[in-house]
Amino acid sequence: MTPALVDVRGLVKHFPGERRLLGLGPPRAVVRAVDDVSFAIAPGQTLGLVGESGCGKSTVGRAILRLIEPDAGRVTIDGQDVVTLGARALRALRRRMQIVFQDPYGSLNPRMTVHQMLAEPLAIHRIASGADAERRIAALLEEVGLDPSFAQSYPHELSGGQRQRVGIARALSVEPNFLVLDEPVSALDVSVQAQVLNLLADLQQRRRLTYLFIAHDLAVVKHIADQVAVMYLGKIVERAPAPTLYGGPRHPYTTSLLSAVPVPDPKAQRQRIVLAGEVPSPAHPPPGCPFHPRCPHPKKDARCRTEPPALREVAPGQLAACHFAEEPL
Amino acid sequence: MTEPLLRVRDLKTYFVTEQGSGTARAVDGVSFEVQPGETLGIVGESGCGKTVTSLSILRLIPEPPGHIRPGSFIEFEGRNLLTLEPRDLRAIRGNQIAMIFQEPMTSLNPVFTVGDQIAEAAIVHQRLSRRAARTRAIEMLRLVGIPDPEERVDHYPHQMSGGMRQRVMIAMALVCHPKLLIADEPTTALDVTIQAQILELLDRLQAELGMAVMLITHDLGVVAGSADRVVVMYAGQVVEQAPTAALFARPLHPYTEGLLASVPRLDAPPAREHGRLHGIPGQVPAATAWPEGCRFHPRCPYAWDRCRAEAPPLLDAGGGAEPGTHTVRCWLLTDPRRRTPHS
Repeated sequence: MTPALVDVRGLVKHFPGERRLLGLGPPRAVVRAVDDVSFAIAPGQTLGLVGESGCGKSTVGRAILRLIEPDAGRVTIDGQDVVTLGARALRALRRRMQIVFQDPYGSLNPRMTVHQMLAEPLAIHRIASGADAERRIAALLEEVGLDPSFAQSYPHELSGGQRQRVGIARALSVEPNFLVLDEPVSALDVSVQAQVLNLLADLQQRRRLTYLFIAHDLAVVKHIADQVAVMYLGKIVERAPAPTLYGGPRHPYTTSLLSAVPVPDPKAQRQRIVLAGEVPSPAHPPPGCPFHPRCPHPKKDARCRTEPPALREVAPGQLAACHFAEEPL
Repeated sequence: MTEPLLRVRDLKTYFVTEQGSGTARAVDGVSFEVQPGETLGIVGESGCGKTVTSLSILRLIPEPPGHIRPGSFIEFEGRNLLTLEPRDLRAIRGNQIAMIFQEPMTSLNPVFTVGDQIAEAAIVHQRLSRRAARTRAIEMLRLVGIPDPEERVDHYPHQMSGGMRQRVMIAMALVCHPKLLIADEPTTALDVTIQAQILELLDRLQAELGMAVMLITHDLGVVAGSADRVVVMYAGQVVEQAPTAALFARPLHPYTEGLLASVPRLDAPPAREHGRLHGIPGQVPAATAWPEGCRFHPRCPYAWDRCRAEAPPLLDAGGGAEPGTHTVRCWLLTDPRRRTPHS
């Protein structure tokens, strides 16, 4: 097997609770946003990281790039340890790893033209200047499906889909080999979402890019990912190759999540598992298995309330954190 | 056939734009009906006019810059809402027709308890006493599945999660037992497990209360699961309308077809075997400059000369469908052999 390009081991990020009452009250509980997350991504592959709001998936993406500092764990990209790197070396490594954000409205500077946004990283990383930079910017725009005349536009003159293409071009400008895509199509209309997903697939093939694709939409992830990891309350609860996970989920949370997705086919006779209650606060996760208060598994017992299940291999290549993973719903 | 509950005919809602770049014809000749007790899905992407349509029904369009053009007609139980006196309109709005919005965060008033906000409509429309209205608010909270309603009734919106707030919005809308509920993207801001809860709640309440629902959404999956009939909108017009089963089995407008092909599906084989999504090229034109002829022709894989020159009317789908039940705004229906895409 080829060595992983991205290797994440035991990643932890806790946010300290803020003090109430002008800092005089008792401190609030620590929010365990990311709690012992591990995965690896092989070169040229896509790992889909899915979960609902607040599960910690975006924090994972940012901690890997050290846009926020992880509290513990090891992250290596192409064999290089990201967590212990000094500021200078980190900046150099940033050429290899980039991020595309969800909100194409908030992630572009409204006072810069597309040209300025694409020229800036080229200058910072001393990649190109002058005529060479011009040529690269035109080529980048073309590569993401925008006419080079867009270079002189400001973000407000662009549609959501066009802005997201600019965000992708900006990430690609420094020629990275690893991209964190944080909900890159969630803000787009479906017809535009399809265009951007196709673009991401083409770019991955052409440039042999490795993706961490963070999303809440399980159908989108199924379409694009090779491997899938499902997060709940800061932990990965299931991880498997996409066909395995979608074909036979072993964690009751994955099963429920999949059953809740509306399918555009009125004839589809599906059993929808409607989970009771809501996701508990990551500041006060339940003891034992974090999913036990909402778990629909008929076998769940006292052990689920006291003993946190380990993420273990339950089938070849398939990991799940459930005491009853061998007895699916 | 029974009298429709709501009949919208040739609705035109235009907006005068600030920069003088012309008039935005946001809704441009929309007609449809809602039968008592049914769920009508209205589907389309941003800017197709689906939200403006629903706001027009409740006459919530800010004037200026907006105005509903003369000749438009919105009839609810035989009365034209567009010519009603404000007083008579108020007796219908929030009482017989209620609406829930996409953003449960911004549609609730942060300085009143949820109980006060639910009770308000009952006090105004049904002349309940404060005490009776409070009891009704607690009943409503229980009906929409909020635990400990006696305690929750005194909570403020910020003390609740997004899913809870959407339940409160539904409780507010249903407190007067409306005959028609307009739900504008009611689950778009919610996580998928919470979305499933809310959709199931709406289904259950509709069956219990016997109301009609206009479900406005961009999500074809939500429509497939909940609607009896579907209206597809594009560029301010209805481009296709049909019973849900017929629409998904035989989408006839190229836009509907493209929309269905754009959606990644859980019930499809995974990407590596499946390849690319067949999206729709280009983007929605601006409402100030809809294309001549068929408004979809610049993005349509089948378009020919006639589509560029002549705007198609809604045509009957034929193929065994009862006349008027499945209609499509596309010239292909007059010339089905052209249904082979250009490269």
